[in-house]
Order: sequence, then C-alpha cells, then structure tokens
Amino acid sequence: MALRSPLLLVAVSVLIAACTPGTGGGGGGDGSSFEFWSFAAIDQRASVDAYREKHPDVRIELTEVGTSVETAQALTTALAGGEVPDLVLIQGDDLPKFVQQPQNFVDLRTLGADDVTDDYLDWVITQSVAGDGEVLGIPTDVGGMAVAYRTDLFADAGLPTDRESVSALWPTWEAFVETGKRYRRATGKAFTDNAATSVFYQAVNQVSQKYYDDDRKPVYDSNPQVRAAFDLGIEAATAGITARQASFESAWSAGMAQGEYAAVSAPSWMLDRIRSVAPDTAGKWDVARIPGGSGNWGGSYLAIPKRAQNPQAAWDYIREMQSPQGQLDHFGRSGALPSTPSVYQDERLAAATDPFFSDAPTGKIYTDSLLELKPFYIGPDSATIGQEFLNSITNVEQSGGNPDTAWDDAVRNIKTAIGG
Amino acid sequence: MTVTSIPVRPVVPPPVSRRTRRLGERLSPYAYIAPFFVVFAVFGLFPFAFTFYVALFDWNPIGDRVFIGTDNFTRMFADPRFWNAARNTVSIWALSTAPQLLLALLLAHVLDHARLRFALFFRMSVLVPYVTSVAATAIVFAQLFDRDYGLLNWLLGLVGVEPVDFVQSTWGSHVLIATMVTWRWFGYTTLLYLASLQAVPRAVHEAAVIDGASAWQQFLHITVPSLRPVIIFTVVTSTIGGLQIFTEPLLIASGAPLTCGAVRQCQTLTLFLYEQGFGQFEFGYASAVGVALFVVVVLIAAINYLLSTRIKADR
Repeated sequence: MALRSPLLLVAVSVLIAACTPGTGGGGGGDGSSFEFWSFAAIDQRASVDAYREKHPDVRIELTEVGTSVETAQALTTALAGGEVPDLVLIQGDDLPKFVQQPQNFVDLRTLGADDVTDDYLDWVITQSVAGDGEVLGIPTDVGGMAVAYRTDLFADAGLPTDRESVSALWPTWEAFVETGKRYRRATGKAFTDNAATSVFYQAVNQVSQKYYDDDRKPVYDSNPQVRAAFDLGIEAATAGITARQASFESAWSAGMAQGEYAAVSAPSWMLDRIRSVAPDTAGKWDVARIPGGSGNWGGSYLAIPKRAQNPQAAWDYIREMQSPQGQLDHFGRSGALPSTPSVYQDERLAAATDPFFSDAPTGKIYTDSLLELKPFYIGPDSATIGQEFLNSITNVEQSGGNPDTAWDDAVRNIKTAIGG
Repeated sequence: MTVTSIPVRPVVPPPVSRRTRRLGERLSPYAYIAPFFVVFAVFGLFPFAFTFYVALFDWNPIGDRVFIGTDNFTRMFADPRFWNAARNTVSIWALSTAPQLLLALLLAHVLDHARLRFALFFRMSVLVPYVTSVAATAIVFAQLFDRDYGLLNWLLGLVGVEPVDFVQSTWGSHVLIATMVTWRWFGYTTLLYLASLQAVPRAVHEAAVIDGASAWQQFLHITVPSLRPVIIFTVVTSTIGGLQIFTEPLLIASGAPLTCGAVRQCQTLTLFLYEQGFGQFEFGYASAVGVALFVVVVLIAAINYLLSTRIKADR
C-alpha cells in the first residue's frame, strides 16, 4: 500500500482536475434532465426557475460559468475534448467563431427548428445559420439601440429637451456629430463618451453589407458604407465632442456619475448600467431615437453541442422558454428585450416606461429600433476586422494617432491580423 | 543542547519475506517523490512538449488541424505585432528591473544595519506587496494613474502639469506596468539580498568602521561585493519573470484588454500569445510564439550559467 496510495491520490486528483467544470454529466441521458451553461448577470436563473415550476419532473443543472467571454472559452475547451453541457448560452459577439465550425453543434432543424425560425427577427436568426443552412442557435434576446441623454445638460446648452424634438435633432449620424459640435460650442464640454462605440460601432451596423458581401467575400476595405461609418467615427474623434472614455472602464463609469456625457449611445441593457453607476442622476435622463433610426448591440443565443447527452430535453426548454410568449414573460422578469417581433405590440412591452429616464417609453423606442435592420453576412473574421477599426478610431481619439492615415493603418492592421 | 537517550519500544517486524521488503524499500522513495513528478508530467512536461507539436499546425481547437510545417514561424518573424510585443517586453523589463534591484539593494543595506530598531517589522513589511494579489494591485494602480480621475494626475495638476494619459501612451503604459512590477517584487528581492548580507560577518563591518570607512564606502566595498552571486541570480530571475509579464498589461486597459490598448502600446509577448490563442483561436500560431519565448528564456539561462561559473572561478 505504501507504493500505491500516493499514486492513487495523484491519479484521483488528476481525474478530478480533468473533469471540472464538466462533472455531473447532467443526469446521464435520462431524457428529462439537462445541464445548462450560462453566463452570470444575465438572469437565466429566473427563466430556469420558471421552467422548473411548470415542469417539476425536469432536473436542470444550471452553471453560471462567468462572463460571456469566459463561458465561450469554457465551451471551446469542452468542445475540443471534454464533457459538454446539453445547453449553452453564447453571446452574439462570440457566435461567429462557433458558427464557422457547425460540426460541433446539433443542427436544430433535426429537432424541429424549421417550425419556429420565422418567429425571430430575420437578421438575428440569420447569424446562427451556418453555411449549409444548419440552424445552430435560437436567439434569446436582443439589445436594440437608442440614445440616452441628460435633459438638464441639454437645457443648459440651449438644446431642446423633450424626446421628440431631440430625436429630430439627429435623423442621421452626421446630424448627431453636428449636434455634438453645437453642444461643445455652447458649453465647452464633451458631448458623448467616445467615438468608437458611441458613433462608429452603431453607424457601421446600419448597413446592408458590412465586412463581407452577399457572396461571403471580404469587402471591408472597399465597401463605401463601412468607409462612411469610419470617417464619421474619425470626425467625431477629432471634433472634440467626446470625453475619450472607453465604454465600461471604471473611468467611464466615473464620468457617467459626474455628468461628463450629455448623450450616450445606449442599447436597452445599458440603461441598467447607467442606473447602477450613476444612481444620483435619476430623473435627469431621457431616451431618444438612435440616429439612422435602427440598431442593435448585444443579444445571445442558445445552442446544443453535438455530444450533448440530452438534446431533446434541452430543445424542449428552448422551445418553451424562447417562444414569443416565453420571451415576453422573461422581459417581464428581467427586462431582456425579446427577439420575437410578434410580441412587440403587446401592452406589457409596448407600454413599458422607465422612471429613471423620465418615464421614457423604452419598450416602444427599443423595439422600433429593431424593425428596420437588414441582415448582412457575418464572416469568420468580422470580429477581428471590427476590432481593428475600433482600435484605429480610439488611437486617433486617445493616443494622438494621425486621422489622415487612420483608414490605411486600420486596413493594414486587418491584413496583418487575418492574413489577407 | 545535549543528546538524551529516548527509550524505544522494540518494533516487531510483520512477517514479510525478505525479498518483498527489500523491493518495497527500494521503490518507496520513488513513491514519495511521485506526486510532484506525476503532476509535473501531466501539467508541465506534456503541455510543454505538445506546444512544439501544435506549433507546426494551423490548429483550430474546435475545427481543422492542418500540418503547415514551419509556416507559423515564418509568419511570426514577418509579423509587426510580434516585434512590437517583443519591444514592449524588453522596454517594460528594463524599466522595472533596474529600479527594482537598486531599490532592493539600498533597502537591504539599511535593513541589515545593526542599530535598526523594529528590524523584524520592517523586514516583514517589505514583503506585503509581494503577497498582495496581482489583480488587486493592477486595479489600484490603474486608478492611481488614471487620466481624468487619478490621484497622480491630480497631484501633477496641483503643480500645473497637464494630465498624462498613462494607459493610452506607449511610454506611459510602460512606466505604469514597470511601476507595478517593481512594487510587487522589490520586497522579495530585498529579502534575498538581506539573507545574503546577514551571512557577512559583523566583524568585517566593525573593522571597516574602525578604519574610518563611511556608510557609502561600506556599501560599495562590503555590501555590493558580498552580494555579487545573488545579484546575478536576481537579475536572471527577474529577466525571466520580466519576459512573462502578463496580468498587469491584461488588466490596465480594460477597453481593449487582449491588445493592452488600441495600438498594442503595452502588449507583451505573453499577452500576444494569449490574444492569438484564446482571442483568435489560432492555437498553432500562439504555440509558435510560445516556442520563441522558450528559446529566449533558454538563452538567458545559458548566459546566467556562464556568468555564475565565471564568478565561482574568480573566487
């Protein structure tokens, strides 16, 4: 035994280490229970609890892995050679990497997805469809876009304050930048937080083709729509209308609390962020339409890995909780915006208002912003290309980069990164 | 201390054949050291060897693995991002190592002073930064050095200096990271020096004082020479550590963490490796960067070996 026990101990500990976080196996294929990986702070627990209440016989093992990025990394490791969950939540930004490798997931059409795909916004569901039409994920929510603005700061600058007149100030992004300059002239202060995410990122998502054309060829360096959005971003960066704070950094939160930004591009989930980082500004905000009229930032998908042991139980969950009615109920519980347009007229959503933002009709404003978007192809390198454009604009805004060479720099960096 | 005899109860050996016992005796030492070596083999040696293998592939962890020979290395040598990361690493290393070792040397000299009161307290407290988590240090320093709300820029503002954007400028981010590294490691290095200094007989210092040597002369002619081997050791370890700086750059630019800023101004080699592996899923390319890093570390270790054998020979 002297020989065996330490070895045994090591063997056991190695096994344990190799199994986390996939231990449990979610009920081992008995058909009525499943294992579910979600990210923290998105309130999937509320959905799971609601489902458990209706189906007491189903056992759901919910693991909140961490942030959305950490969840995607854990999923990657699991797919590469570990124990996979039966159901996993993937954030929209992480999705393309997985859609490029459809062999890792169950084609949901085999479980009956064809019956439900029409329920979802076309440009949202398209993102989870792979090359041969495999449906790999069902959208759980979307972001929508609007502009949150400070009525008190607008009044100080002599700008209108009611949301209709404010929306009328910026039908286009050019007008938004112009309004920023007007604000700057009146107050000498910054208008918005940064050019990269508050201007470029929003404008570049309002296109009909983005970094790839409809034949899935990369056109990021020749597409005039991308170039126009980029030039807008550079103009905003050099016009002195931004506070040069990258979104979600701690200084960005501090600036929000200090009233450094009069207007911020805000998806629906950012309203909660503003509420929590700047609680003293309650009632000083309002919400206006996004320039260009439409937009989205964020949203997630539920997918079932190929090696899942209980795909049917996971699908039953998706089918029930992500139905238009299920998403509407979830909106009531968590405020996550449904990806199913058929419920956008429902009172619970259309009449939703937010007291923190001067009782703005957030339900209507955000759902309206989703209806005009067009589907465009998101390719294997879309995330990298987008990041390099954002970096190039941030470089001009914050690190003293040359605005005249910014476009060429970005295109060169993209070519280095994707090897084109 | 005197040796006292302890009454020992005679041990009755269990009836085992001689041969089994001898085999057990011969094997059991290996069993005792096995835990380390087994864990090392699984989590150290195997991934290490496997990295060389993966570096020869275009390797997507959840997709295709295509053998491409040395293409990853050719690409790496032509990649401006790799050279940028290498430059940043060297710059941050130089900015952190030199002040760290000098500070530690001076502190060790002071802490070794015979008449220092509360010596134990001071000797222990220099170690506090070392036991603080890197993440906590990074977050606090990033706030201290913040452009708009940082304490440092507020102080600079009091004397009329324009706010410095530490994170977004190249040299600023390097200074910020180097400060964090220095802060974290100077106590550890001080204790290494101190331990070595305490081995120097008091009499040497006393003789020097009698001969009229000043404190500075004592430092120069007693402290530094007696520390030479350990100085070489710390230069080498901090160089190897400096090549692997990762957490600090990852945490200071939360807007673009994997590149440490919009223009990769503080992306180190290890962070570049991580970006390629876990941001881009290019495991093959990331492994190639890892191999390159390994070669550099081996070269530095070799230089260390040459230097330390020279020192031994000098004696």
